[in-house]
Amino acid sequence: MTQQAVPRQMEGALSVAGRIGGRDRAKYLFIAPAVIWILLITIFPLLYAARTSFYAFRSGRMLRYVGLDNFRRLLEDEALHDDLVRTLIYVAVVVSVEMVLGFSLALLFNRQIRGIGSLRTIMTLPLFASPIALGYLGQTIFYEIDGPMNQLIRSLGGNGIPWLSHPTWAFVAIMIVDIWQWTPFVFLVALAGLQGLPQDVIEAAEVDGASGWQRLFSVTLPLMTPILWLILLLRTIDAFKVVDIVISMTLGGPGRATELYGFYVFRTARRFFNYGEAAAQGFLLLFIVMLLVTLLWQRIRAIYEPER
Amino acid sequence: MADPRIHELYRGLVNGHLTRREFVARASAIGISSTAISLFLRAASVRAQDPTPVPADVAAPQVATPCADDGCLFSGQTVTFLMPNETIQVPLFEVRDEFEAATGAKLDIVLAAMNDTLPKLLEDVANETGTFDASIIGAWWMGELVEGDYLLPLDDFMQDPRFPQWDIETVLPGPRALMQYGGKTYTTAYDHDGQVFYYRRDLLTDDKHRQAFEQEYGYELPVPPQTWDQVIDIARYFNGKDLDGDGQPDSGVTMHLQVGQQAMFHFMTFSAPFVIGPENQKLYWFDPEDMKPLITSPGHVKAINTLIELSKHGPEAMFGWGLTAAWDYFLAGKAAVTFTWGDLGALAQETPERGGKSLVKGRTGTAPCPGTMSYYNIAAGQEVTVDTPNIVGNTTGGSWAPVISKYAKSPEAAYYLCALMATEQKSKTYAARGFDGCDPGRTFHFPPPNGTGSIEDYVKAGWDEQDALEYTDAYFKTFGNPLQFPYLRIPGTFEYWLALDTHLSEAVTGQVDPEEALEQTASDFEEITDRFGRDLQLASYKAALGFE
Repeated sequence: MTQQAVPRQMEGALSVAGRIGGRDRAKYLFIAPAVIWILLITIFPLLYAARTSFYAFRSGRMLRYVGLDNFRRLLEDEALHDDLVRTLIYVAVVVSVEMVLGFSLALLFNRQIRGIGSLRTIMTLPLFASPIALGYLGQTIFYEIDGPMNQLIRSLGGNGIPWLSHPTWAFVAIMIVDIWQWTPFVFLVALAGLQGLPQDVIEAAEVDGASGWQRLFSVTLPLMTPILWLILLLRTIDAFKVVDIVISMTLGGPGRATELYGFYVFRTARRFFNYGEAAAQGFLLLFIVMLLVTLLWQRIRAIYEPER
Repeated sequence: MADPRIHELYRGLVNGHLTRREFVARASAIGISSTAISLFLRAASVRAQDPTPVPADVAAPQVATPCADDGCLFSGQTVTFLMPNETIQVPLFEVRDEFEAATGAKLDIVLAAMNDTLPKLLEDVANETGTFDASIIGAWWMGELVEGDYLLPLDDFMQDPRFPQWDIETVLPGPRALMQYGGKTYTTAYDHDGQVFYYRRDLLTDDKHRQAFEQEYGYELPVPPQTWDQVIDIARYFNGKDLDGDGQPDSGVTMHLQVGQQAMFHFMTFSAPFVIGPENQKLYWFDPEDMKPLITSPGHVKAINTLIELSKHGPEAMFGWGLTAAWDYFLAGKAAVTFTWGDLGALAQETPERGGKSLVKGRTGTAPCPGTMSYYNIAAGQEVTVDTPNIVGNTTGGSWAPVISKYAKSPEAAYYLCALMATEQKSKTYAARGFDGCDPGRTFHFPPPNGTGSIEDYVKAGWDEQDALEYTDAYFKTFGNPLQFPYLRIPGTFEYWLALDTHLSEAVTGQVDPEEALEQTASDFEEITDRFGRDLQLASYKAALGFE
């Protein structure tokens, strides 16, 4: 038998096979459950949704293969485009307000004053309520006839506001509830970040005679920037998916004034049973959010790894 | 073999004879592991839900005789019933013990939010899982479910003497049509929906108001009003006046106009006499030739403009109101008129002393929804003027009724249960007490001369006699009217309706012109029809509305 030279590429493959067959087998066995889990809860639904998006449905059953029709409809559906724009406005407003408010509160609470622990706990309470419960609470608070908000406004001499019956005010109302729920998240993470800042740098700035504003803008904010970007990233992803508040407060109305993208997808799937189109709509949202995440993530990496 | 003590304990838990705490204590004592206890508790959780207790004086009578051993028809079987978590569940919980004692079968009730009931049922039947034997559905789901071949026709069961007997002929023609599809019966009788007109009898018959009204509008205040134009005048007259004596201005009308909260039903009821009439009894939704929408007809346009005019005489807040908020406003005495389902008439009898919130018991008049003095005949393309008001009956709403899944594991036992709730004795009680959401629609629900029922049933259930007389008469006339609003029951009905609902909301809140709202609705209708398949939709439409 003629001995033949083993090609270099095959050497590598044999080496991997040998490792798998040898002492590294345990390593693969240990990670197998995690891999299977990920395949089950991520890859399978993703593939199933992809398959679904190529079908038309009728009476809850797959009717026929329609190719890219469901995706084509995304381009033609004016209601969906309106909802997308409305959602972008919603995300931009609520995330901006939450960032500013949450960070400001974190600065305020980042000091030793009496009862600070209890105050911090109270501050974070809305975070632990379910969004749908807060939505229903919001509906009560913004009830126009004699809800607490309008009672307060009237007691101050103003007229009641048509919170839920006027298109613009209804949009404002759902944003207020979102801000109410998620500002504590920004507050909590920003506070943790503030407490982890190197105190010597801040003290050095103080010794150098920097004023409070100078310390904030020249020391604290630059040090907090990576954390703030991370919070922004997380909140942006989450705000795009909002459904519960809309369902519990306005059901997208008056008209379509508070109809957000997530609600539109939910309704397409769960009220109209048009799972194919809903899957396609879901992929569009996924694409948009991934695009934003990629941009934000690049920004964060640039901060962490400036040499690259 | 399992320890028989375990079975005994489990039975005690699911039958409600043992509390969860007692179950845990006793199960631990006989050495059942904590894992097993947890599994038992989880399995029993559905059963352990407490029903809304029914006061003894309005409890439905026992109809079925308890069985014994071999005489039990369905021993060992379980009926799993998917039920909306609303007051409509009350009869089901109430009948459970009687059903189990009479058949030997077990009844598991799975509660779901109203809006989640159909998705759950549809997923179950579309996947042929058969988790649920039966469920309660709104009539507009019939197209989806029958066309999907998901339901069992009940005609054979109805002839079978083994089951409790009920007569479909006792259901008035309007609601009876909703129980059938393609010539077969798919639901047993339960709730019968239709919208009627409610008014504050004390206000409309008050001499002071009558004189002032006549002076202002030049004609005698009609009680009840016969046309929507009269209703607008009445609403305009009372709007801004103090109607409940609290010194604050109140409203002429209250409606539920929040999008997604069934405002489209308001439009359907309201617009019916603008489009439907003796010369056009069916053309309202689509052209039966090509499925082109008819919703932009001059009759529809006139109707939406008139509805918007009426809405100006109610609180602005009602554009964001669902059913409960709109009803509560009327029950608090803050509106002169409204039009909605039978629930309001029953709720008006529930005073604070009876645990309700009505301040208008004995003052709530009911009448069939008013009509018009002209309508637009779509087929002829012309306006038709009439000498007497053109009043159209309606069955708008859900007419919630039980259906049996084609994939039911215990279909006969499920039918026994549904038929038991449809028996005359029980149905009379359900309709009279009203708080369970089961509205009247059968001959024995109506006192003479309209039917064979008794007003005493209503009075015993807590009704004011005059309120009950007007209420039952209004329903009899609404369901018995030969002119009926054509109820849409084709696949995608809810999607069509939500399009109408959304654009209606845009119109009443001034976001778009009324004509534009209807044009956008028509455009959405076209898109939905094309997506579902025009030919398929056309065939369903013709079958469902009897165009063939």
